[in-house]
Amino acid sequence: MGIETLIKNNVLVTTVDAVVNWARKNSLWPMPMGTACCAIEFMGALASRYDMGRFGAERLSFSPRQADLMIVAGRVAIKMMPVIIRIWEEMPEPKWCIAMGACASSGGVFDTYTLVQGIDQFIPVDVYVPGCPPRPEGVLDALIKIQRLVEQDSIIKRK
Amino acid sequence: MNSEKRTEILEIKNRFPDSYIKDEEFRGDISITVKKNKISEILKFLKDDENFHYNYLVDITCVDYLKLNEIERFAIVYNLYSHKNNSRIRIKTPVPENDTSISTVSFLWKAANWLEREVFDLFGINFIGHPDLRRIMTPDNYTGHPLRKDYPLKGRGEREKFKVVK
Ligand code: SF4
Repeated sequence: MGIETLIKNNVLVTTVDAVVNWARKNSLWPMPMGTACCAIEFMGALASRYDMGRFGAERLSFSPRQADLMIVAGRVAIKMMPVIIRIWEEMPEPKWCIAMGACASSGGVFDTYTLVQGIDQFIPVDVYVPGCPPRPEGVLDALIKIQRLVEQDSIIKRK
Repeated sequence: MNSEKRTEILEIKNRFPDSYIKDEEFRGDISITVKKNKISEILKFLKDDENFHYNYLVDITCVDYLKLNEIERFAIVYNLYSHKNNSRIRIKTPVPENDTSISTVSFLWKAANWLEREVFDLFGINFIGHPDLRRIMTPDNYTGHPLRKDYPLKGRGEREKFKVVK
């Protein structure tokens, strides 16, 4: 009588990485950094019609210390950038970042005297969502892309 | 339309004959242009007078008439409202480019404090006697006054020079 007959189908063998990443990717807690109109569209992505909860990311974390995904939704002035950097640094590793909309990605139409021309000059961005504002489907697509990134992560060595 | 001037205009003409420049009326809204030297006395009069009682400061703003041949390059605009009479008045005062200073009215209305800081930040108007004349919109170390009409849209390199100090 081997051990297999004892435990039957009650045990799955896997790696710690796979389990941790599975849990992480299906319970991303976004930090909504809504600085302008894109944040309104982001609410649309969260609400029942598009429902980011289907991907496990409906729990917005208004404390950066409990968040692992920063969504910068809107244009960022140079006065706001130090605040965003501080919040980004308060988020514990591992963390990911979405630049939502043309403004956060590149400054958009606001090529003006105090507007940051793309937040990626200051914080690392994983996924850019084009559009002004992006459709909620775009945000969901970015979220799925972040999930693909999370899958490749390793708890021993960060990629 | 009645062609008589509103009493506010007549009173200001009477009491401050040296300051009065001109007045306009458009669809019942009056604006009076006065010289800047007595601006705080004029506003204090409009605020404290029993009949006018312009107790509410709606806004302070500034206009840059760069190439428009106005009296002076800048004009500070005070919009007042009277809760008692439900009436509004606009006081304009020209400010020359080479002497952009004007007396503060923050001792009359506390609201003027931040409004004057905004005008200082974006137009570079110096409010004499203001308790705390710091920038309010742009970062503290910003140089330049972006709403002046001769200020370039993309700034003078402030955006590029901006570094986040940790
Ligand atoms: S990309 Fe468009 S919708 Fe989004 S913040 Fe910029 S202007 Fe607003």
